[in-house]
Parts: sequence; structure tokens; C-alpha cells
Amino acid sequence: MDKRHPNSFQQLEKLGEGTYATVFKGRNGQTGAFVALKEIHLDSEEGTPSTAIREISLMKELKHTNIVSLYDVIHTENKLMLVFEYMDKDLKKYMDSYQSPTNPSAPRGALDPDVIKSFMYQLLLGTAFCHENRVLHRDLKPQNLLTNTSGQLKLADFGLARAFGIPVNTFSNEVVTLWYRAPDVLLGSRTYNTSIDIWSAGCIMAEMYTGRPLFPGTTNEDQLLKIFRLMGTPSERSWPGITSFPEYKTTWPVYATQELRAILPQVDALGIQLLNSMLQVRPEMRCSAQQALAHPWFADVYPQARKGEALGGQGGGFKGM
Amino acid sequence: MAPIRDHSHLVNSLATSTHLETSASQLDSVPRHLEDSIRYETSRLSQAAGILLSLPQEIIAQSIIVMQRFWVGPEGGSMLEYDPQDVASAAMYLCAKPSGFSLSPRSILTTFECLRSLNCKYDESLIEKGPFETEWRLSDGEYETRREQLYKVEAQILRTLGFQTHVALPYTLSMNYLQTLEAFHDDKGPVLARRVFAHLNSALLSPQLLYLTHQPCALATASIYLAAREVGALLPEAEWWEVFDVEREELGFLVVALRSMEAFAVQEKRQWESRVVPLTIHDVRGEIERERMLEADE
Repeated sequence: MDKRHPNSFQQLEKLGEGTYATVFKGRNGQTGAFVALKEIHLDSEEGTPSTAIREISLMKELKHTNIVSLYDVIHTENKLMLVFEYMDKDLKKYMDSYQSPTNPSAPRGALDPDVIKSFMYQLLLGTAFCHENRVLHRDLKPQNLLTNTSGQLKLADFGLARAFGIPVNTFSNEVVTLWYRAPDVLLGSRTYNTSIDIWSAGCIMAEMYTGRPLFPGTTNEDQLLKIFRLMGTPSERSWPGITSFPEYKTTWPVYATQELRAILPQVDALGIQLLNSMLQVRPEMRCSAQQALAHPWFADVYPQARKGEALGGQGGGFKGM
Repeated sequence: MAPIRDHSHLVNSLATSTHLETSASQLDSVPRHLEDSIRYETSRLSQAAGILLSLPQEIIAQSIIVMQRFWVGPEGGSMLEYDPQDVASAAMYLCAKPSGFSLSPRSILTTFECLRSLNCKYDESLIEKGPFETEWRLSDGEYETRREQLYKVEAQILRTLGFQTHVALPYTLSMNYLQTLEAFHDDKGPVLARRVFAHLNSALLSPQLLYLTHQPCALATASIYLAAREVGALLPEAEWWEVFDVEREELGFLVVALRSMEAFAVQEKRQWESRVVPLTIHDVRGEIERERMLEADE
């Protein structure tokens, strides 16, 4: 374990306030390289936060090109700081600041199709790797996907991965976003699986085309209704067993299923096909990350995006960093 | 230590020979046999506490293994630096926390405190006498102090382990193997399965640190092999363990290790018959002193 003093990293500007930590840009005092410093809020009510225990132990196992690297953990008497690989922007900031140079009439935040394909491929590669290692990310959203100027995309923020029960509120008063949450989770399912990450990936894909969230719900109920308005209100006939979910309501308005093609005219036919297989309301109907990667839509993805393929994970010993 | 390539949920990073050669406790001059006794006793204490706290066996096993990882090797924790009973409670608190069975510091501390008062006679007290009559409660002042200590030891375990708290276990695996071997087609199936679990649980207490030195597939296979012999269940004639990636040599070693557990437990019981295994730094120091004096007398 590294006993280095936290001051061997120069702390620069604040990059963001995470669910249980504050992230700063940092500079390695010796090499001058940039890093991301995630300072965990130590709270006297639970000792070392379970989110930190989970995130660190997982990040040490999950070594993949499309998963942000944990370089070091600095753990002193009153401070817990994770040193991560530095990435330029999260996908949300990237989209917020993006204006297509090739298509000036495209709405702000909408990305170019080639970039979307490359990002989706990398997102799915990282997700597939997690799933092969029996890890659910459970909180995939643009803020948790990091990009750099070489066009790489990596999964970050594993604080909720492999946890039981998804919290609605965090300790800071920030509400965990519902926009990317799968309908089965919203319905109160406790037996969800890898398919919940695929739903999130589908939502993110649509958002990259339009620059706007696909289902911007405000409450659990509103989130479900926003999904149903597009995908159709499920019934016992279309989804056997739906009436036994804790959050099932007989008072839901009955919406007909809309064509994704009509809502997302900017997506090509193959892309719509892929999106359709990810955005299935019934979890068992959703494709897996591996199946999505094999979809013909990705046949012409940028070769750089394929970098994370055929890479195994690497774990260390159980002592020391 | 071999890097984990795939299926990391099924394998553990094992202790290296450097880890097993010596420990921080031995470097602090805790005799090896005393270290074994303390490790055995704290593991029993954790098992009993886990049962009282209604934790699933997986979490109890994980906390025992995390504790063993902490004690092992020259870079590990020393029994003259951390109260062994605190390490046991902190390991359990830490393993339960990120699971679906998190415990409050108060319930953990009270349970351990209550068990400590039984002077290591958990089986007799818990099984024969049934539920406790006395009501256990830590005073507020004492609770505050203990809780601070719990957090401190928890952080130290995490530091020492480099946060490697993930533990792959052989329980479910052994059931899958039994199914593959069609063991449940036989009437003896359920008895066999129970016996397999019993061996896997005993192995947690082994002075040979079997869970730090062997992968879950090997532990599951050896327990099945031995249990089948004991209950007279029929398994295939062929060298079926090879299917589960276990070689005859490792299987043989583990079977011997599992069979030696009973004698080890009896010996421990006899050795500490009239005394209590030291579980605090103070008592460990006292025990070392006592042994020295006995030696000097001889």
C-alpha cells in the first residue's frame, strides 16, 4: 500500500461533485501528468463509506480500456482519496458544449453519427466486460461516461455497482437521476440483472442523437409514464406478470406503442433496429451487451473504438496497491 | 500472485509464500502456536456472532477470510498492535456493510461483547442453554469509544488489504458440482450436501489457512470427495475432480487437511480447557509472558 502523502498530488480545480465524493483535477508532483482526484467524504455515521469499499474493490478487478483506471488509493487517518486516470470531459459536458461542424443546423448537443457509433461501441465494450465479471454498473448516464480528446470513452463511478437496492437520495441532497433507469427497476423489481445497464445504454444512444434526454422524468411515476407514452403501456398480455410488481398501477393511462423511427428520424434504419432491441420494456426481451456489439450497425465503426476488444481483466494480489 | 484473467467472481487472489512464511505477529514475537489459537478462536467468535446476527453464511465466511488476510504476511496486522477481537468485529462490520445485510455498529459491538462474556464457550451457551437471559447493553460512553475503535480498525484492514475485500466462495459452486455429479439422484443427496457444507465451514477455521491457499473449486471438490466417503454416497468411478480443474495431488492434500480439522479442534479445546484464549493486545502480551516464565521454570 502506498503511504505517500496526499500532497504529492497538486490539487487543481474542482471537476465535480459526485454522489459521495468531490472530484478535483490533480497533477502528479513527480511526473507532471494530470490525474483525477476523488476525495471521499468520510462520514462519522458509517466509518468508511460502503460506496467507497465497493468502488475500490471493484475497480481493482475491472481493468479494461473502456473502464477508467484506478491508479492509487491514498488512505490516511482522516482522508480517503482515489487517484484515477484523467479524462477531459464527461459525456454530458461534451454534449452540452458540442455544435456539429459538419451540420450547423443540428441542435446543440446532438453528436455526429460516426462519433455516436464509436461512443456506443466503447460503452458496450466496457459494459460487456463488467457483465462478464458479474458486475452491474447500475448507474450508467452521460455524467458517468468520460471522454478524452482521442475519442475514447470510459465507464466511471462504480459507487452503486453491485449494491443492493438503488437509493433514491444520496447523502448530499442531490437526487439520483431516474432518466436512465430501466422500467423493471422503476416498477420495484428486486431481481433485475445485467439488462438494466442495456436500457441505460439505449437511453444514452438516443440522447446522443438529439442532445436531449429521451425520458426526462421527475418522479418514479412520471418516469414510468414518460416511458409508456413512447413504448406503450404494458399489460398482462404484453408483459405477463406485470401486475404483480410493487409499483404496478391500474390507473395508468393506456398509451399505444410509438414507432422509434418517427421520434428519432435522424437515426438510420440499422441504428433504429439496435435501439429497439436495447429499449425493450420487458427485461428478458432486451439484448445483451455482447449481442449489441455483434449488431451489423457496428460493422463500420471507427477501428480505434475496437481497442478494448479481446482484452482480459487483470487483478492484483490482495495486499498492497 | 497470479493475476486474475477471467471469471474473477469465481477465484481469489491467493497468499504468496512470502505471506505464509512469516507474519507481523511472529515478527513481534508472538509464538506461531499462539497465533494459530488466536486465529482459530477469533474465527469461531465470528462464526458465533454471525449466527446471532442472522447473517448469511457467505458474509460470515467472507469476514473470516478478510480477517485471515489481514493477519497474514510481514506487512499484515500484528496481534500485538490490534486487539484480535476488534479485528474480528471490524472485519464483519466491513463485509456486511456493502451487502444487503448491513449492520449497525451497535448491534455488532453488543453481539461481540456479549459473546466475549461467555469465555469462548459459545456452543455450550448458545446451543444447550438456548436464548440469553441477560440483557446486554453497552453504556453510551463505552459505545462511543468502541465505535471509534471499530472505524479505526476497519480503515486499517482496508489499508492493509488494499481494499481487496472481494472473496469468492465455494458454497454455491459445491452445489453445482453435486448436481453435475447427479448426487441428488441418490437418496443420500441431502445428507451429502449438508456434510459438504459442514466441511466447507470447518475449513474456514483451519490453521493451514485453506481459503487463502486454495481456490474455491478445489475446496468444493475436496469437501465433496471426503463427504461422499463419509456418508457412503456413490460418485463416478472416473477421475471426476479433473472436470472441476482440480488435480489429484491438490485433492489429496485438501482431503488430509479437512480430516485433520477435528483433531485440531479437540487439541485446541483441551489446551484452553481451563483458560481463555487471549483476544486483546493486553492479554496476548500476558500470555506470551506466562509462557516465557513457564519455560524459564523448566
